[in-house]
Amino acid sequence: MVGSRYVAEGTHMFNETLSNSKIIKHYSLIMDWAKSLPESIIIKRKTEAEDLFKKIGITFSVYNNFDTTERLIPFDMFPRIISSLEWIRISKGIIQRSLALNAFIHDVYHSAEIIKAKIIPANLVYRNPAYEIKMAGFDVPKNIYSPIIGTDIIRTDQKKFLVLEDNCRTPSGVSYMIENREIMMRMFPELFESLKVEPVENYPSFLLDTLESLAPKKCSKKPKIVVLTPGSFNSAYYEHSFLADMMGVELVQGTDLYVDENITYMKTTRGPERIDIIYRRIDDQFIDPITFDRSSLIGVPGLFDSYKAGYINICSAPGSGIADDKAIYTYVPKIIKFYLGEEPILENVRTWRCYLKSEKEYVLKNIEKLVVKEVHGSGGYGMLIGPKASKKKIDIFKAKIKLFPENYIAQPTLSLSSVPIFLKKNLPPRHVDLRPFCLVGNKKVKLVSGGLTRVALKKNSLVVNSSQGGGVKDTWVLTE
Amino acid sequence: MLSRTAENLFWAARYIERADSIARLLEVGYRISLIPNTQSGYNNEWESILQTSDIKDEYLFHYKELKKNKIEFFLLFDNKNDSSIIKCIEKARENIRMVRTAVTLEVWNSINSSFQELEKIAEKKYSSRELPTIIDFVKKQVNLIRGTILNTQLINDGYDFLILGTYFERADFTARIIDVKYFILLPSANYVGSQIDNFQWSLMLRSISSYRAFKWAYGNNEIDSKKIIDFLILNMMCPRSLIFSIEKIDHHLKRLKIFYKQKTSAESSISSMHKKFQKLSAQKVLKFGLHDFLKKFILDLSSVYKNLEKKYFLGAEK
Repeated sequence: MVGSRYVAEGTHMFNETLSNSKIIKHYSLIMDWAKSLPESIIIKRKTEAEDLFKKIGITFSVYNNFDTTERLIPFDMFPRIISSLEWIRISKGIIQRSLALNAFIHDVYHSAEIIKAKIIPANLVYRNPAYEIKMAGFDVPKNIYSPIIGTDIIRTDQKKFLVLEDNCRTPSGVSYMIENREIMMRMFPELFESLKVEPVENYPSFLLDTLESLAPKKCSKKPKIVVLTPGSFNSAYYEHSFLADMMGVELVQGTDLYVDENITYMKTTRGPERIDIIYRRIDDQFIDPITFDRSSLIGVPGLFDSYKAGYINICSAPGSGIADDKAIYTYVPKIIKFYLGEEPILENVRTWRCYLKSEKEYVLKNIEKLVVKEVHGSGGYGMLIGPKASKKKIDIFKAKIKLFPENYIAQPTLSLSSVPIFLKKNLPPRHVDLRPFCLVGNKKVKLVSGGLTRVALKKNSLVVNSSQGGGVKDTWVLTE
Repeated sequence: MLSRTAENLFWAARYIERADSIARLLEVGYRISLIPNTQSGYNNEWESILQTSDIKDEYLFHYKELKKNKIEFFLLFDNKNDSSIIKCIEKARENIRMVRTAVTLEVWNSINSSFQELEKIAEKKYSSRELPTIIDFVKKQVNLIRGTILNTQLINDGYDFLILGTYFERADFTARIIDVKYFILLPSANYVGSQIDNFQWSLMLRSISSYRAFKWAYGNNEIDSKKIIDFLILNMMCPRSLIFSIEKIDHHLKRLKIFYKQKTSAESSISSMHKKFQKLSAQKVLKFGLHDFLKKFILDLSSVYKNLEKKYFLGAEK
C-alpha cells in the first residue's frame, strides 16, 4: 500500500491502552470484553469476519513474477481507540497540513515565492523527479491540486502524534476503514451501544461533494464524475470499485474514455457521454500516453490537452507528488508557517538531511542510533536501521552518505505505540500506525473521524505493510 | 451503462454457457466409452466432439493421437486449451470481477466460488474415473449461477446483456453441433431406420441434453431425421433449438431498443430472422440444404452480433 515503516523500535514501547500502568478508561470496557471471550468464540468470529471479507470481495492482489493471486488482508478484531480530545488535535493538525501542502504545490508551479524567500532550495524543487514541468503556469480548477490526502501518523507517547509521511497522489486504504467498521458493527453490535463511536460511513458522500466542488472551467451543468482505475489486476482494484459504487459513479479504465476536440467522453451503451471530473487512481506518468509515458496502455490519449483546455479536471493534479516527496517532507513545518502563518500542530519526525554539512556530521557520528534512508527510495529499499545493522552494513552506508549526501536522510529510532491483538488466549501488544483521509474541496475541508489503523502482526515487528504480514484494525474515534 | 460493462456482462454469460456446452459434450463422450466396440480409446465421436467445440486443430497441434483421457483432460483443465471448461469459468469470473458492482453479491459469489471449487478439482491429478462427478459438478454450478442471475439481478439493461450472451452462445453451439453431424440427418435409403442411425441421433440429442425432451415432444415413435431437424431448429418448446435462442435474442434486443429509445440494425435484422424462422418447416430446410442453411444461419447471427457490438460495446456511435 505505501512505503514500509522505517522507524526502528526503541527500548520501551508505548502501549496505548495504558496510562501509568493502568488501563485507561475508554479501553477498560474493550479489555474486559476481549478477556471475556472464550477462545472458541474468538476463532469462530475470526472465521466469520474472514468469510464476510471474502464475500464482499475485499482481497488485494499480491504480485510476483509468475502470477497474481488474491489474498485477504488479516483483520484484527481488537479496536484501536482514539479519544475525542486526541482526535481534535490530530484532525486540526491534518487539516492545517493539507491546506499548506495545496498552497505549496500551487506556489511551486507559479511564482515560487517560497523559493524566492529562500525557505526551500530551488534545486530541491526543480530538480526533483516529482516536479512536473508541464504543470508550470497552469491554473488547476479552484487551485486545489491534491483533494485527497492520506497522512501517516505514528504515536510515540501519551501526547505525541508525529507525521511520518504525507500521501498527496492517490492514497489508498479508505475502503478498509469503512469495511472494517461495517464488519465490527455486524459482529459486535453490543460494543457500539456502550461506547459512542464516530461514524465513518459518510466518507464516500464527502468525497463526492469534494470532487463535485472542483468542476473545471468549461463545465456548464452538474459535473459528471468517474473513477479511473488501471484495471482489475491492480492491488487496490477493490477499493476503486468500492468507491465508485458508493459514490454512484462509473468506474472506468483508460479504454473507456476518449478525447475528441479536447472534450473527454466515456463510451456508453447510449453512445458517447461527456465527463467533467476524473478521480484517477493511476499514476501521473500513465494518464496520457501522448503527453507522458508513451508505452502506457492504461491512459487516455489527449487527456492532458483536455485538462489544460479546461474541459476536464484530473484529481489529483499531475505533479502533486512534489508535496509528498521525502526531501520536501522535512520542510513541511516551514511550509505551514510560510503559507498559513501558523505554528504546526503536528510535528514531523526529527529528520537530519545529509546534504547539510553539520547534519551529515551528526548522522555519521550517531549512525548506530539512527534510521538512514534514501530520499527517493521506497518500500524499505536502501534503508539502514542503525541499532539492528551489522558493522559491515554501517560502513557501507557511511561510505554512501559521504559520496552522495543529498540522497540520504536520517531519523531517530522511535518506538511506535502499540495496541493489543487477539492471539489465541492472549492479547499481546503490537505496533500500529494511523492513516486518516483528508478531503480538500473548493473552500471547504473535511476529515472523517477515523482512519485506517495498520498493525504489525509479528512480535517486535514495525512493518505494518499489508504485503509483508501487516494487518488492519477498526479505528474508533469517540464522540463528546 | 458503460459500454465495457455491457460487453463484460455479455461475455461472462457467454463463457458460462460455453462451459455448460462443453460439459454436455463430455457427457456424450463418456456414454460412448461405456459402449463396447471402441478400439484403443479411439472413436469417431471424439473427433466430432473436438470439431464441435472448434478445437480439433489446437488439440492435434499439442497431441498427436486422439486419446480419450487426453481429450477429456484437454476439454476440462488443460492449460494449453484456451476454451477448456476451467478457462471458460475463469474468464466468466474475470469479466464479472471487472464489473463487480453491476451484478448482485449473490451472482458474484456463485461465480467466484464455482471457479475456486473447480480450481481445487483441477489441482488434483486427473483420472477418467472422475469424469461423471466433474461433469455433474460443472452442470450444477452453471445452474446455480444462472438461477442466481434470474433470481437476484435487477431486470435492467445489464440483465439484457447477460441473457443475450447466453443465447448467442447457445444458438451458435446448437448450429455447430447439427452441422458437424449433418450427414447423419440426411435422408439416405441405406441408413434410414437402421440401428446406427438411431444410435447416432440419440447421441446428438443427448449432447444437448434433449433426448428425453424429444420423447416428450414427439412421443415414443421412431426417431427420424425430419423430427430431429424440427426439434433442434424449429421447436419453440426445445430450449436448445435455434428458434428458441432467436426468440430470446429478439426479445432482449427489443427491450434494449425501448430502454435506450434508440433503434438498432441488430434488432431489425434479428426480428426479420425470427419472422422467417416462424414460417419455416423441416421440409423447407432440407430443400434448402441443411449444411447451407446452417452456414447461412451462423453468418447471419454473427452479423447481428457485429451490429450489436458496434452499437453497444464500442460506444462511439452517436
